[in-house]
Amino acid sequence: MIKLLKIEFKKIRTYRIFWILIGLYFVFLAAGLMMAEFMVNNMVDNMNKHSPIPFPHVAIYFFPWVWQNISFFATIRYVLIFPAIVIIILITNEYSFKTIRQNMINGMSKAEFLLSKLLLILVISVILTFLLGLVTFIIGISHTSGITLQLILQKSSFIVGFFITILCFQVLALFFAFMLRNTGLSIALFTLYVFIVEPIVFYFLKSPIVHKNGISPYLPVNSILRVTEYPAIPVLKQVMGLTLQDSVSMSICLYPLIYAILFIATVYIVLLTRDL
Amino acid sequence: METVLSIRNISKRYGKIQAVDDLNLEVMKGQVFGLLGPNGSGKTTTLSVILELIRPGSGDFQWFGQPPSKASRKRIGSVIESPNFFPYLSPVNNLKIVADIKDLGYDDIGRVLNLTGLYERRNSRFRTFSFGMKQRLAVASALLGNPDILILDEPTNGLDPQGIAHIRELILLIAQQGITIIIASHLLDEIQKVCTHVAVLSKGKKLFDGEVSEVLAISDSYELSAENPAALSESIKAFPGYRSATVAGEKILVYFNSEVNPGELNRFLFAQGVILTHLAERKRSLEQHFLELLRDNA
Repeated sequence: MIKLLKIEFKKIRTYRIFWILIGLYFVFLAAGLMMAEFMVNNMVDNMNKHSPIPFPHVAIYFFPWVWQNISFFATIRYVLIFPAIVIIILITNEYSFKTIRQNMINGMSKAEFLLSKLLLILVISVILTFLLGLVTFIIGISHTSGITLQLILQKSSFIVGFFITILCFQVLALFFAFMLRNTGLSIALFTLYVFIVEPIVFYFLKSPIVHKNGISPYLPVNSILRVTEYPAIPVLKQVMGLTLQDSVSMSICLYPLIYAILFIATVYIVLLTRDL
Repeated sequence: METVLSIRNISKRYGKIQAVDDLNLEVMKGQVFGLLGPNGSGKTTTLSVILELIRPGSGDFQWFGQPPSKASRKRIGSVIESPNFFPYLSPVNNLKIVADIKDLGYDDIGRVLNLTGLYERRNSRFRTFSFGMKQRLAVASALLGNPDILILDEPTNGLDPQGIAHIRELILLIAQQGITIIIASHLLDEIQKVCTHVAVLSKGKKLFDGEVSEVLAISDSYELSAENPAALSESIKAFPGYRSATVAGEKILVYFNSEVNPGELNRFLFAQGVILTHLAERKRSLEQHFLELLRDNA
C-alpha cells in the first residue's frame, strides 16, 4: 500500500497539470464560497421585487449551519468537476504514455494498478476534506458569536458527507477513464454525462408520468449530489417548499457507496479480461 | 541445462488474423535467443503474451518452470516496441518508479544510465530526448537490477549506426554475464551477430528453430562450372539430394537438400564425363536460409 502510494506520488510530484488543476479547484472553491452569501442575498433581493412580503437577508457562514452550507457549495457539479478531471487525466495518461503496460511488464499486477489509483483518490479526498474542514471552521469561527463546542459539532456530519461526495465522484471519473482510455474522449463524455445526460434522464424520470417509481434520485450523479442536497437557507424552504436536510444520514451515503463499489468491480473485471 | 521459458501450443487470433499459431518454444539459461521473422509474423504478439500483456487464445507458458506471475515478471527486464515513460519526468525519476515496482533500491540507477550513455542527461525531462536516447533509456530500464532475463523487441529500431553498434556491444556484454536474452528482430544481420539460438516465425507459425551456428554450418549449395555447361546442368540432376540449380553467368549454383561431400560430387560428375573447371562451397548466410524457409512455406 505504502509502496503504491510512493509510486503514485512520484508520478504526480512534478506533473504541472495536476497542480494547476488542483490549484484551480481551490481558486474556484474559494471564490464560490466567498460569493455564495452575496449570490443568495441577490436572489432574495430579486424575489423581494415581486413579493408583497419581504424576505429577510440570509447569513450562511455561522455555526452550525456553515458545515451544511459550505459542504453544499463545495459539491456542486461545477466545482466537483475539477478533481474528477484530474483523476481522468492521471489515468488516461497511463494509457497514452503506455506506462500502464510498462508497469505490468515491470511486475505490477492489474489489481495493484487499480488499487494505486483508488489510494490516490482516497488521499486526495482526505486532503481536500481536511482543507475544507479547516476553511469551514475558520469561516464559522469568524462569523459566529457565542461559540460552544456543541454548536460547532452539531452539523459536522456534513463534512463526512463532503468526503463521501468527493470520493464517489472521483470513482465515477475513474470508471469513465478506465473504460474509455482516451483523455479527450473521457473528459468529453464524462462532462456530457454529468451536465447533460443525467439531468435530462432525471427530468424525464421525474415527470408526472413516471414519477411514482421515483428512481431518479438513485441515478449515479444524483445519488452522489444528494448526500449534501440543499444549503440550509430558510428562504428555500419558504419559497420552494423544500424539505431541508437535517444531517447526512447513513442511508443517503449508501447509494453512492454502492455505485462506487459497482464501478470499481466493473473496472477490475474489465481490466482482467482486456488486453493491454 | 535449466529451462528459463517454455511455451506450449500458444495461439492468438485477432479477428481473421492468426497472429500466433500453435507455437512451441524452449529457451534455456544463458542462451541469446533470436525470434526472427518478417513484419507481422507474430514476434511482438508472442513477446506480449509471455509478458502477460495479452492473454493467449489457447496454450500456456512457464517462466523458470512456474506459471507466470508478477514475481517472475520482476526478474525480467524488457524493451517492447516503443519506450514507455512519463514524458514530464527525468530519466532518474522514471527509473525510480521502475525500481519501486521491482522492489529494488535506487543504487543501480547510476550504473544503468552510465552503461547506456545517458548519465549526463539524467535530470532532463524524458520528452526532450531524441528517439535514440529514449530507446537507450528503455534498455537502461530493462537492465535495472541485473535481471535474469532480458527481452528485447527490435532493440536497435530507429537508432543510428553508432547507436546500433553500441546496443549490440551491450547485448554481447550482458550475454557474457550469463543473462538469458530473447531478441525479436526482422534484421537477420542482427540475429546473426548476437544470437546463439534462433527461431524463425512466419504468419505466427514456427518454421524452424536451432543453434545459429548449426544453421550456418550446413553447406548445401555449390558453385560449379565445367567445360561443357549443358552436360553439367543435365548430369547434376541425378546426384542424390539435388534440389535446384540456377545459372549465374559462366557458373551454376546448385542447391542440395542435405549435406554434400565435395569429393563425392566431383567423382560423380567425372564418372558422368563432366570435367569441372570450378568447384566452390557456398556457405549460405542466415539470410538465404531465412528467405528459403519463407519461400518453401509460402
